[in-house]
Amino acid sequence: MSNPRLLAGLTATVAIALVVASCEARRNAVAPTIGGPLFHFGSFECTPFKMTGGGRIDYPPGTADKNPPASHTYETFGAHVIASGQTDANGTCLADKGELEWVDHRPEMEINGHPLNLHATAVTFAEVATDTDCRDGAAHWGGILRVQNTKQDGLDFEVWDCDNGEPGVGHDGFAISVPALDYAVMCPDPDLPPAEPTCTLTGGNRQFHPTH
Amino acid sequence: MKIEIMRRAIRLVGLVLLLTWVPGSVQGQMRAAKAESYGIAVSTATINQKAPSAVLPAGGTMVQDQASDVTVASMVTAQDAFAIVSGDGAEASDAVSSATLGTVSILNGLITANGVVAMATSTINTSNADGSSLANLVVNGVQVSDPAPNTRMDLPGVGYVVFNEQIPTGDGVTSSGITVNMIHVVLQQMGLGGVQTTGNIVVGSASSGVN
Repeated sequence: MSNPRLLAGLTATVAIALVVASCEARRNAVAPTIGGPLFHFGSFECTPFKMTGGGRIDYPPGTADKNPPASHTYETFGAHVIASGQTDANGTCLADKGELEWVDHRPEMEINGHPLNLHATAVTFAEVATDTDCRDGAAHWGGILRVQNTKQDGLDFEVWDCDNGEPGVGHDGFAISVPALDYAVMCPDPDLPPAEPTCTLTGGNRQFHPTH
Repeated sequence: MKIEIMRRAIRLVGLVLLLTWVPGSVQGQMRAAKAESYGIAVSTATINQKAPSAVLPAGGTMVQDQASDVTVASMVTAQDAFAIVSGDGAEASDAVSSATLGTVSILNGLITANGVVAMATSTINTSNADGSSLANLVVNGVQVSDPAPNTRMDLPGVGYVVFNEQIPTGDGVTSSGITVNMIHVVLQQMGLGGVQTTGNIVVGSASSGVN
């Protein structure tokens, strides 16, 4: 009778220790490597999380709400990332997986008459922002993408992702930068911490999930 | 005697706990996040076509589909159609879907638009169609600007059309969902029994739901 009890006790102890150990991986991200974050704002930490959802941004913003639809001044996207709080040898917070599909409908961004379409081929890093006003959680993540219109591949990108409560419209935010294309949809607010260059959603929702 | 009663009570409690215990993964499976979007769907007696189309799979997080040009017989032509669905299929906490199109022509130009966005968003107790829009909408030569939800217009000899059609689902407490069809043409003709629906054309559809 005592052996099963002993075994159960040992198993429980080991399981608890493993969980605690995995949750304690809260290191500040440091200098990036290739495929890592290009630069940092404020402070971040490597901790398990997931961010899901998609939306619409009317950038550059014309009003507090949608731009006139006929202006086609908007971007739509779907994006998610999952991280387990692991770091590489350089201290970069690793992403387990993620996806990004981004469509910029602005006429001036068209390529050969079609909307600019960015598609992530790899999501490599993901870190949780700690100096943020995003109520439910914020993240900075990115990797490599391809311009679907031209098949130009291997371009570094990074996004800033904010879940600021419900509904997502008027609260949550998202921003993207692709330096090699000199392309960015960012809305920095001087009154907010620099970790939040995000543009407020005019459709959709971002959902932050702490996974521990 | 007391010890024996206590042992029986503990066994009973253990049995009850065992019978009522539900693993977390099973609890997660009881909930579901759903999202679907498509650019164009045409259904008649002879045509049944939907493209591009994306459906969030069980446990999935994102799916997208796209088409530069879509033509369905003489019913619809459209350019630059994107369908994107995303959400948390594992925890079933949120879902977002969108369908966007560029230039659209329905029934040989009877209805045209050059910017369609259908967007549906759901969390556990709320859903909305925020972000949806129609640009440069023209019906039979007449400009229609920013139609309110569920705006219906008759199309003599064809049937009728509903713009910005919004169909809510769920109880708003334990479940919520919404379907947004930005242009929904209902094809009708006179039959022996009166007016009969012979088909549907939907341009820009997004659905989401969490329960």
